[in-house]
Amino acid sequence: MPIKILAPKPPRPLHRPSHHDTSSSSSDSDSESDSGGAHLDADGDIPMTSHPSKRVHLDLPTTTSSDTSIVTPGELITSDPQWMRGHGTYIPPSTTSIISSVAGTVTRTNKLLSVRPLRARYTPEVGDLVVGRIVEVQAKRWRVDVGSTQLAALPLSAINLPGGILRKRTETDELQIRTFFAEGDLLVAEVQQLYGDGGAVLHTRSLKYGKLRNGVFVAVSGMGGGGGVVRSRRQVWTMEGANGAGLIDVILGVNGYVWISKHVEASEVDKAAGLNNMEESVSATVYSSQNDRIDVATMREIARLRGVVMALVENGLRVDEDMVVRGYQEAVEQAMLSDEGIEDVYLGGERGVRLAAALTGAA
Amino acid sequence: MTDRRRINGPPGETIPPFFDDADRTPEAVKGRSRPPNAIRKMFLKTGVTPSASGSAYLEISTSAKPGASGLKLSCSVHGPRSLPRSAPFSPHLVLTTHVKYAPFATRQRRGYLRDSSERDLSVHLETALRGAIIADRWPKSGVDIIVSIIEGDQERETSRSQGDEVWEMMNALSGCITVAAAALADAGIDCVDTVAGGVAALVQDASNSESKPSIVLDPVPSEHEKILAACCIAYLPTRDEVTNLWFRGDLPASDMELYNALVEKGIHASRNANQYVTRPAAHHPCRRWGDDEYEDAA
Amino acid sequence: MASTQHHPSHVLLSPAELAYLHDALLLVPPIRPDGRGPNDFRPLVAETGILPGANGSARICFADGTEAIAGVKAEVERTVRRAGDDTVYLEEGGGEEEDVEEGEEVEEKGKGRGEKKGEAAWVELTVEIPGVRDDDSGTVFLAAMLSEALLADGELVGRLWINRRFHWKLYIDIILISPPLSYPLPLLSLTTHLALLSTRLPRLKSEGDEDPFFDDDWAAAPYLFPRSSSSKSQPAPRPPITLLVMAVGNNILFDPSKEELAVADVALAVSVTSSTSQTGKEVTKGKNPSNSPSQSHRSLRLLSIRTIDPPSRLTPPGVANAANAAYGAANLNNLGNNGQQQKAAEARTAETEAVEGVWRAPRGGANRAVLAALVGKVLEKGGIVDEVLDALEAVDLG
Repeated sequence: MPIKILAPKPPRPLHRPSHHDTSSSSSDSDSESDSGGAHLDADGDIPMTSHPSKRVHLDLPTTTSSDTSIVTPGELITSDPQWMRGHGTYIPPSTTSIISSVAGTVTRTNKLLSVRPLRARYTPEVGDLVVGRIVEVQAKRWRVDVGSTQLAALPLSAINLPGGILRKRTETDELQIRTFFAEGDLLVAEVQQLYGDGGAVLHTRSLKYGKLRNGVFVAVSGMGGGGGVVRSRRQVWTMEGANGAGLIDVILGVNGYVWISKHVEASEVDKAAGLNNMEESVSATVYSSQNDRIDVATMREIARLRGVVMALVENGLRVDEDMVVRGYQEAVEQAMLSDEGIEDVYLGGERGVRLAAALTGAA
Repeated sequence: MTDRRRINGPPGETIPPFFDDADRTPEAVKGRSRPPNAIRKMFLKTGVTPSASGSAYLEISTSAKPGASGLKLSCSVHGPRSLPRSAPFSPHLVLTTHVKYAPFATRQRRGYLRDSSERDLSVHLETALRGAIIADRWPKSGVDIIVSIIEGDQERETSRSQGDEVWEMMNALSGCITVAAAALADAGIDCVDTVAGGVAALVQDASNSESKPSIVLDPVPSEHEKILAACCIAYLPTRDEVTNLWFRGDLPASDMELYNALVEKGIHASRNANQYVTRPAAHHPCRRWGDDEYEDAA
Repeated sequence: MASTQHHPSHVLLSPAELAYLHDALLLVPPIRPDGRGPNDFRPLVAETGILPGANGSARICFADGTEAIAGVKAEVERTVRRAGDDTVYLEEGGGEEEDVEEGEEVEEKGKGRGEKKGEAAWVELTVEIPGVRDDDSGTVFLAAMLSEALLADGELVGRLWINRRFHWKLYIDIILISPPLSYPLPLLSLTTHLALLSTRLPRLKSEGDEDPFFDDDWAAAPYLFPRSSSSKSQPAPRPPITLLVMAVGNNILFDPSKEELAVADVALAVSVTSSTSQTGKEVTKGKNPSNSPSQSHRSLRLLSIRTIDPPSRLTPPGVANAANAAYGAANLNNLGNNGQQQKAAEARTAETEAVEGVWRAPRGGANRAVLAALVGKVLEKGGIVDEVLDALEAVDLG
């Protein structure tokens, strides 16, 4: 069936997720509440509200007993002076009450009260691993879209220049700035420093960082909401592709930009260079925009992984290593059982819902 | 108080005299004066606007009958020139096309602002040209292509021409493509091939409505009783590629042969028009029509 | 991403992404980024009759959040009679019977609405895309493409005829709710189709050429496009749909996403409608006897084709490693002067020849055979168009 036209259904009264885990940390509770969205999306009204779970929570009477309760701007969180004001709150003059300034969930860190907004753009923090896209090339720096309110800056001095260890940057490098990164190029980098206005300064001074190739890009943040990439222990990993595919690298940028690509073994020369000075040397291919040869099986599994990430996002689930790996295994199994076989990598619409259901059911 | 500065008309309304031309029957007006597989003669001259980087003027002859005008187009190419500072970096030549009918070009006066049909033509022209130019030879630069339709190819008799505008637009577009290709060549902008426009139409002739519709090149709407479908094609002859295809009409989907034949004929018309562009460029700077006629040998 | 885009059809992708996408789409079968089959559309949610103040309306949204609303409003307007109409009519009326365009004879014979010829000006279509100027060429092009399809066969305007002095003027306004995440043409076209399907015009009570007056009862208002046809053998006429198809190599893809369009060799917008056999179409009937309705579920008619300038031409080219000054520079010291020269020679070839894994924006036009295959695939009997029309038919007209 080439086209599927669904009728919108009226939103069902929301049932609380039965597998609600009250002891979970703030990020977990967020993702748990998102699993309610999986059921909602089954209604077919996917696009109307990208994150229906959130909207429905808003309609619920705010029950202060639950830690998933939603506060809206202007709502009193507490009048108790023992608490400290965190992000997303304010204290009116000559009072001690803390009032929410965004719509979101209240989180508590020791004595600090803050509100995590339901939908927000990425706020950079030092040390974050981000995937970004060059949107502008200036004389001595690049401007990088990292899905934040501000474009991040990548100074020419913050990249490893080819041709020598710790080489000083020259005028030639400035003139050739586009040979390193040009408009549209994707890169993986780390937030090195923050400006007062929230703008980030990136660096790529490591073998792990640099230009991205051999794969596909997914922007998860565009969907907004609490689903999507969460900060976790590992943002980058290499996994075995099923069905005869090779190794696949997954980079989950903290900013919600995801890169899925074929794993490339570093060449011998690079390894040797890396032994001498791991952090400062530069690989030959770091500024390459030429893809390696990629076999069909790997391409197919990369597409499947991309489908898994999209399905997780569309169904309001968190995107991290555990979910992606489990989702991928589930997707491979589902494909094997389906009529089309492993060649079929489509995970949109109902299949995504089924995948999400299988994942949350197992949790 | 009478106005002495100008000559006033007589008070009260008058009816202008109308001379009935007994010879002019609808049959005499209609009809094609050339074979179905021949396009009208053209006059093409490049380098007509000294201040522009490249320019060309194209005139397509009127059909034999009185009252119809030909198509007169002038095209100027400005650039490649550096993009304004505010513009984002472009690894390619940024192409901008403007097609404008002169206010007096058509039966109904056109305003000075471009209307939607002119913008539509501009987009078609841009698509046709973008496939032809080698845009990566000119990074960070832009080129403006401005085509003025000085005289549109329109029937003056209003009663007969209802609904012909769209077919006239196709003819105008094919002329725009041809003249812009010549102007691009004049401006020295790298192109993979010389593009030219051609129109073919499936027409129903008046004489017998039961007859089979036939395909003609370069249709003049007033010459045919009814145009059932037409396509305008921008074609690169040496590469055998189509950069723009615009089809409009009403064809049964089951009859792919008819559609394919129409496209083939459109390509044929484009090939013919192409000779007007390439020959003078190869031999001498300008060329008049009428020396010989480019006709289909087949 | 929204902050980086300038134009709805323009998308910024890196050369490596483009090369990867292109390679994946070149495979047989192609691997589309979202895993769809080549003929598959993105799933969409549709409803009609959402605007009580309009004669007809529809809303469609894609899973990516792109959403369009179309409203159809009708007004009675006096038909401007052109000078010379009568002259022509009289002259032709003597000799030929069927060629009469707007003749009394036909009307009296009650041959049906097909004979009542409308004018293109009776339908006004506007498209609004947020973040784009109204007079933006792209928007104008979209509107022109949609109205061209609606007007091409005269079916729609023929239905707007009230009598010789009056007609309905139809205003079709399509609004995209958010900046589109892909080329919005299929979305707009399907929404328009549904809105027109749900459009009802008040029932005419007056007769002949008198000033028209209508039945107040909205429930009695007939649909502009009747749900079921009077005769069983012919399917009811339907408004046209415009589909976007693209080709990469010899692979034909339907409903391409923005990323896919960015590597398209050629993209076409093809408008088709399901046919109604009318007396006015005797031409094709005579020509092609195989076009009888008994053969297929519905017979399709091709109305319009336009080439969409694929954004692939504006994509940044990749640099082959051989020509890349920043490539392998770490090892250049070992290569010495000889290596430098060799590298320069390689760089020269890289500029002229395609290198595997390096993206080059396509040059030139579309292959003729590919173009013909694209159109052929759309017009295939019992093919994608049929499925789409079936699916649209199944949408409940609220």
